[in-house]
Amino acid sequence: MTDFDLELKQITKIYPGGTLAVEAFDLQVEKGEFLSFVGPSGCGKTTTLRMIAGLEDITSGELYIRGVNNTHIKAEQRPTATIFQNYAIYPHMTVRQNIEFGLKIRKLSGSEIRQKTSNIIDLLDLGSVADARETSLSGGQRQRVALARGLVTEPEILLLDEPLGALDANLRRAIQDELKLLQKQLNITFVFVTHAQSEALGMGDRIVVMNSGRVEQIGASEDIYFNPQTPFVARFIGKNLLFEGAITSASGKIGAIKTPNGQFKGRLIGNAANNASGLMVVPSEYISFGKTSKKDVNTVKGNVELANFISNTVIIYLRLANGERTKIETHVAKLDGQDLNTGSELNCYWDFNKSSIMLSESNG
Amino acid sequence: MDKVVSLRWILGIFTALFVLFLYGPFIVMGILSFQQGPEGGPQFPIIEWSSYWYQHVFGLAPPSRVAPLPIGEALIRSLTLAFATMVVSTVMGVLTAQAFRRPFKGSAVVFYSVILGMIVPGVLLGLGMVLIADQVGVARNWWSTAFVLHVVYTYPFAFLVMLAIFNRFDESVEEASLSLGVSPAKTFRKVTFPIIFPGVLSAMLFAFTLSYDEFPRTLFTGGSDVTMPIAIYGTFAVEIHPNLFAFGVLSTLFSFSLLAIYGILLTLSVRRQRQRASGLQEDIS
Ligand SMILES: Nc1ncnc2c1ncn2[C@@H]1O[C@H](COP(=O)(O)OP(=O)(O)OP(=O)(O)O)[C@@H](O)[C@H]1O
Ligand SMILES: [Mg+2]
Repeated sequence: MTDFDLELKQITKIYPGGTLAVEAFDLQVEKGEFLSFVGPSGCGKTTTLRMIAGLEDITSGELYIRGVNNTHIKAEQRPTATIFQNYAIYPHMTVRQNIEFGLKIRKLSGSEIRQKTSNIIDLLDLGSVADARETSLSGGQRQRVALARGLVTEPEILLLDEPLGALDANLRRAIQDELKLLQKQLNITFVFVTHAQSEALGMGDRIVVMNSGRVEQIGASEDIYFNPQTPFVARFIGKNLLFEGAITSASGKIGAIKTPNGQFKGRLIGNAANNASGLMVVPSEYISFGKTSKKDVNTVKGNVELANFISNTVIIYLRLANGERTKIETHVAKLDGQDLNTGSELNCYWDFNKSSIMLSESNG
Repeated sequence: MDKVVSLRWILGIFTALFVLFLYGPFIVMGILSFQQGPEGGPQFPIIEWSSYWYQHVFGLAPPSRVAPLPIGEALIRSLTLAFATMVVSTVMGVLTAQAFRRPFKGSAVVFYSVILGMIVPGVLLGLGMVLIADQVGVARNWWSTAFVLHVVYTYPFAFLVMLAIFNRFDESVEEASLSLGVSPAKTFRKVTFPIIFPGVLSAMLFAFTLSYDEFPRTLFTGGSDVTMPIAIYGTFAVEIHPNLFAFGVLSTLFSFSLLAIYGILLTLSVRRQRQRASGLQEDIS
């Protein structure tokens, strides 16, 4: 018996055609956690979610829900509910009938069904459309109907596959908060799939970053954002500056890397080894500008190609010494009166404790 | 410019001819069915307009030298046969198409062997059936040998219709149902079936009408109790009277009313789907 609400042990999925969609996925989720899956298209997010829901066979590995082995349990017998990207609302039923549908097959009395249905209708503010059909609902209402239909059956775990993908940006923003509040209120475990990193970071208590069927990193938003553990995460999440080079020192906590743009020091990540080709990763947020006399810093300089101000942030395109162009996104307050006219020289520096050095190919 | 105009003319004439050949026979038949009776024959000119032959069809006309059409029982047989064929073919068609939603080994073989039923010439199939029936000593009857061939013939149509329907079917509604804890059987009844219903209706219509006026497969296999098309064919052998035309008009009207019912049911469910589609459109724009 484990204390986890959901546990994946070495879950692997190979589709009949031979596609390896998910490989050796390990995951432990606590009760009431909001977990986000994020990764590029085709990385296996939906496949993983469907395996948890029981809609897809698990090729190998084991799946536990509340300590019970669910690996070979059928979808309809799992204590999960799924919200699909297209909502999958039954077109031949009214909103109320849609919501009642999952309750009717449970052995509940009529009054209980009515009670639960009207509770969830109130909770999700669907009263005005309770007797409407899918055809006359707006996108946001559809999303809420799908949510109500899933939640009313009181699942242990709610699985959501890009549930906000079909909504426009404003509505999306509003529903993100609503969803998060609802989840905290009901204390149901949510597994939320998205390919938008901002959505994943904003909503998840923890984030699972996936790539090509594998888990790259699991951690809290800040962790993923400021401490990427693999080159993929460093490129996919956050606004990191990257410098490729050769690792010149890999002992202790702080190592060094030699790049065409200079020698840098940084925290060593994973099994970074001497002489291996490595990557220096610096979150844009940690970069300061101007000349400095500080010791524990890395410095780099370049010529401004373009500085683009968007309200209180500025995106600086910098041409580095070796001719490479890099992009720095920062808050205007950090500029400290630097000249950002095209062609002017810009000095950048950062605390080397804030930057990291990792293998540029992380195969393990 | 000239080319466009002449093309229009050609297409116009083509359409006119098409309509003429489509409706011409029926119109001529319709007119002649109002011929005077019992002396008036199945040709122009109309001696005098009358509804005599309609009365004759229903046995309401006074006895005359023209024998009543031997179709009463044949009609009931045909309707019964068409109904049974419709039920069996539609059920099989739906189930087979359902099976084809997931790829399986040998699906191509199964597909073509089902489709063969509508491709093989009917007369050959009928003859073959006669040979087998005689060989194994099974009597030929409209409700046995002929029925089997009707199903063989109409089942592929029902299957193809359902295949097309399932092609456009969005599985996520079924998966949503499973994930709510609803069993697959109940999911089919409560979710899948109501959504594919327009398709089922089309399959039923195909099966019924194809069976109702099926001739080549029934001719040899139907036995001595004939179905309606065979009975009508039998009357040609003697002498043709306008009562046949009156019957033709009536049975065409019957078919039209089936079609009308089908149309109404279909519009109702299509309208629902269209609203749904336009609703989605709004969201996107
Ligand atoms: N039914 C299937 N049969 C065969 N291969 C599949 C099937 N479904 C998905 N795949 C493959 O498995 C891999 C993972 O697909 P999946 O749908 O899980 O990705 P995803 O992360 O959800 O992507 P997206 O962000 O585009 O939704 C892809 O390479 C995809 O082509
Ligand atoms: Mg997906």
